[in-house]
Amino acid sequence: MKIISYKLPPRNQKMKFNRIYALVLRFYYLFRHSWDRIGDAFYWPTIDLMIWGLTSTFFKSFAPNAPQIILIVLSGHMFWLIVWRAQYEITVNLLEELWNRNMINIFVSPIKFSEWVTSFIIVGLSKAAMSFPFAMLVVYLAYKIEILFFSWYFVPIILLMFMTGWWVGFFVSGLILRFGTKVQTLAWTFAWLIGPFAAIYYPVSTLPGWAQTIALFVPASYVFEGAREIIYNGYTDPTKFYISFSINLVYLILSIAFLYSSFKKVLEKGLVKVY
Amino acid sequence: MDILTVKNLTKKFGKFTAVNNISFSLREGEILGLLGPNGAGKTTTIQMLLGVLTPTQGEVKYFNKSLQDNREEILEKVNFSSTYTQLPWLLTVEENLTYTSYLYKIKDRKQRVKKLIEAFRLKKLIKEQMKELSSGEVTRVNLAKAFINYPKVLLLDEPTASLDPETSDYIRKFLIKERNQFNFSIIWTSHNMAEVEEVCDRVVFINHGKIIADDTPEKLAKTIEVCHVVLNVPDGLKRTVEIC
Repeated sequence: MKIISYKLPPRNQKMKFNRIYALVLRFYYLFRHSWDRIGDAFYWPTIDLMIWGLTSTFFKSFAPNAPQIILIVLSGHMFWLIVWRAQYEITVNLLEELWNRNMINIFVSPIKFSEWVTSFIIVGLSKAAMSFPFAMLVVYLAYKIEILFFSWYFVPIILLMFMTGWWVGFFVSGLILRFGTKVQTLAWTFAWLIGPFAAIYYPVSTLPGWAQTIALFVPASYVFEGAREIIYNGYTDPTKFYISFSINLVYLILSIAFLYSSFKKVLEKGLVKVY
Repeated sequence: MDILTVKNLTKKFGKFTAVNNISFSLREGEILGLLGPNGAGKTTTIQMLLGVLTPTQGEVKYFNKSLQDNREEILEKVNFSSTYTQLPWLLTVEENLTYTSYLYKIKDRKQRVKKLIEAFRLKKLIKEQMKELSSGEVTRVNLAKAFINYPKVLLLDEPTASLDPETSDYIRKFLIKERNQFNFSIIWTSHNMAEVEEVCDRVVFINHGKIIADDTPEKLAKTIEVCHVVLNVPDGLKRTVEIC
């Protein structure tokens, strides 16, 4: 593959905190000024949870023998919120730089590619740290459901959801760098392309045969299967999480390599011309 | 002492050659004009000098070190401003300068931002979002951003293009004064010979991606034998036809 042949910078791979902080600060300032971003963090999660919560409450009235239906749907939705948030912060923050024609101002500074990528991850983590507890509160107040019911399983589930969000975000960002804002819609839609195969609200066995095969390669599907087992039985086989972690790790490495190769490709056209 | 050397720099976009095997150098404390008509290859050259465009061929060295191998170290001491780029438009002037200051190793951040706000007459605008500013004001913020890291080399791509004559004059004088005081070097692209003559110590004239001349503005002006003068007169064509 061509990406292997790219020459890496020769020395001093150490990242500098001040430069990562600079970009995090830039997005914090943006968040303060943008109603769109504030809405993304609080308004949409609330609306989604209300709609899904009410829908599952309605379904529960038809299936009184399935008392866990609300927990399954709402926990699924909340964990998917992390995937969404993590990928969205990467792709939309990149788009923000393209819309503002600010890429050149960033990269005429000594910032490194790794620092740039790290700043996106930190911004995603920070926003999730705001949105997720808020969503937990909404779910608790509206439906008396505690997501912390998952106990220590909560930690690997969250980590694996973030990993999925990151590789989706890096892959879509690579596409946006290569093809410009004409493919910007992928920032909002791509995660949902894998959504059906991730089996967020239903078991993988519900999917048709061919889709079950695809689900094997979607790391989030193992997590959602595991989460449902925890809801039903109080435990799950950790092997599901190990498999999910391994696939996520492979995809994460490949997606960063793809993003890096896209960035190098863009440098051949010039950063001014990326739009 | 040469602070920047460019050797056999070439950039091809497919079959089109934007910059064709150019070589020049920039001395310490020198203001070098990169003069040429639109599409001559000035901006392409500047982008390659900043490392945001990969050359097809050739080498760029700052402080005797290759830009490709020492990007981080070199870009700490270099900065850039262009009329053709923007800063995040939802951020205020102060926020833009503050976050940019963190991209560089600057000890006295607050003092530096404050000084630049005063130097570029931005005091009344510090709480304004970039989207609220006029193009001239945006240019001044861009220039302030370019000075944030006490650059040893400043690359200015048509820095006065959108400024009114009074502000252009102020900026030119400010840059010359700063250069005289801190002895940094500037590459100044322009297609305005009068401006280049006023500001630059030396001029590299580029056309169709090639260097045509490299000399002092005075000598260059003497060697140019043919001048094209275009008079922009309202209704000029109509009146010419009437007179004829």
